[in-house]
Amino acid sequence: MTRDWKQFFPFLISPILLLLVWWWVAAAGWYADDVLVSPGAVVATLEELTANGELALHLKASFFRLLTGFGLGALTGVLFGIWMAISPRVEAFALPLFQGLRQVPTIALIPILILLLGVDEIFKVIIVTKAAFLTVALAAYDATKGVSKNYFEVARIYQLPKTTLYRKLIIPAITPPVFTGLRIAFSRSWTILVAAELLAADSGIGQMMQLGREMFRLDVVMVGVVITGLVGFSIDKLFKWAEIRLIPWQPAVKA
Amino acid sequence: MQNSFYKWIPDWRGWILPIVVILAWDAMSRLDANHAYAFASLGQIWAGVVELSRSGELLVNVQASVQRALTGLLLGASAGFLVGSLVAVSRTANILITPIYHAIRQVPLLGLVPLFALWFGNGDTSKLIVVSLSAFYPVVLSTFEGMLQVDHKFQEVGQVYRLSRWQIYRRITLPAALPQIFTGFSLALAFAWLSTIGSELLFTAGAGLGNLMMNAQEASRMDVLIIVTFVIGVLGYGMSLLIKLASNHLFKWRQVG
Repeated sequence: MTRDWKQFFPFLISPILLLLVWWWVAAAGWYADDVLVSPGAVVATLEELTANGELALHLKASFFRLLTGFGLGALTGVLFGIWMAISPRVEAFALPLFQGLRQVPTIALIPILILLLGVDEIFKVIIVTKAAFLTVALAAYDATKGVSKNYFEVARIYQLPKTTLYRKLIIPAITPPVFTGLRIAFSRSWTILVAAELLAADSGIGQMMQLGREMFRLDVVMVGVVITGLVGFSIDKLFKWAEIRLIPWQPAVKA
Repeated sequence: MQNSFYKWIPDWRGWILPIVVILAWDAMSRLDANHAYAFASLGQIWAGVVELSRSGELLVNVQASVQRALTGLLLGASAGFLVGSLVAVSRTANILITPIYHAIRQVPLLGLVPLFALWFGNGDTSKLIVVSLSAFYPVVLSTFEGMLQVDHKFQEVGQVYRLSRWQIYRRITLPAALPQIFTGFSLALAFAWLSTIGSELLFTAGAGLGNLMMNAQEASRMDVLIIVTFVIGVLGYGMSLLIKLASNHLFKWRQVG
């Protein structure tokens, strides 16, 4: 424990220094409030936004969109990815379109979706769904394609029923890479949601920052930046933690 | 994977779904006035192509976006290479820089847009910073990891020959890590392109494909949106293809064995 601490401590030096410099420069008063606010002011704003429930409201709106969109996209993505990998017919029909769509960055679809769907809730959910679907489907497709042909041959020789084939072979084999795909998809979903909320929303953490930007409230923007960072970080850690727990046959988690 | 990727090109079945989508889209636009407003017909899209290329609008904005992406890529990747090398070579630098790098990286890049807007305004400076940062992150990581993974035996040989630290870096560590650094560079290109479009959508001032899209959205010009989205996809694909070809050419020596 103490040794961990000793190894860990040096890595705190620069963040602490940075905070001190930030605090000191802000206290010196060289810059206007809309260019630089002190760390204290950011914390005070965070407390204020927490106390009046505003932050919770925005976070709730964002999480609802994130979870709905990601849930839909990830579920359909896994199923579609496996299907496309297993059935040569589906692959022949769907893969080219799939590869083509993959070339367009999700964010470039935002204007089209706004024009088609308006700026309502559905638009934000759909854009997250799209981001999650493509990433997860590709991961599931690649993972299933990567399962060694030998295993399938053994399964055929033993005349394994289809359900056993899925339960005992395909699912265990593809779970680790699919999980990595899910983790990446979740962080992409979060990024795209924040961008969509910056562009068009009446609530959500992105909209909070956008309002802060329009009203020159740097403290509000800073709170938003910290919160989006923390959310992204926690999600990533949560996935890595779950990866270790849920996939005992996977020896180590890659970075 | 590679086999299946090339096999589909001559396969007629692959064309069906895209054609069905396009025809369905076109049919939707002919349904009634309401739909004609939201869906652009093929004829409208073609007219849009003619209009945009005649006025030179498309070319100007393509140029602005590509230039922004490449400038940002160059700035961000160079800075990333320097920082990554420094962190890989010096333990002190590692201890001081790594925590801040990882802390900042947690924030979704486009989430930094409101902050940069307040600091650097609504125009080209802010966009270039966003694009450079997007290229910076992956190159730092790939440089650092590439250099750490270089077999220590090689560096020990250098020490035996009494090479200086700079010589060991220049002659041994850097060449050995180069392929992986290049992998980070190609990632950086993809991110730079994505964040170019994203930043042009979010920062309103100036030229670029993102701005063209925002204007088209406000004017409800679906035909323009479709064209620009298509162009963005093709340009992104073309650039990544160029990088892949360059990588195959540069690292021919690596494929052996």
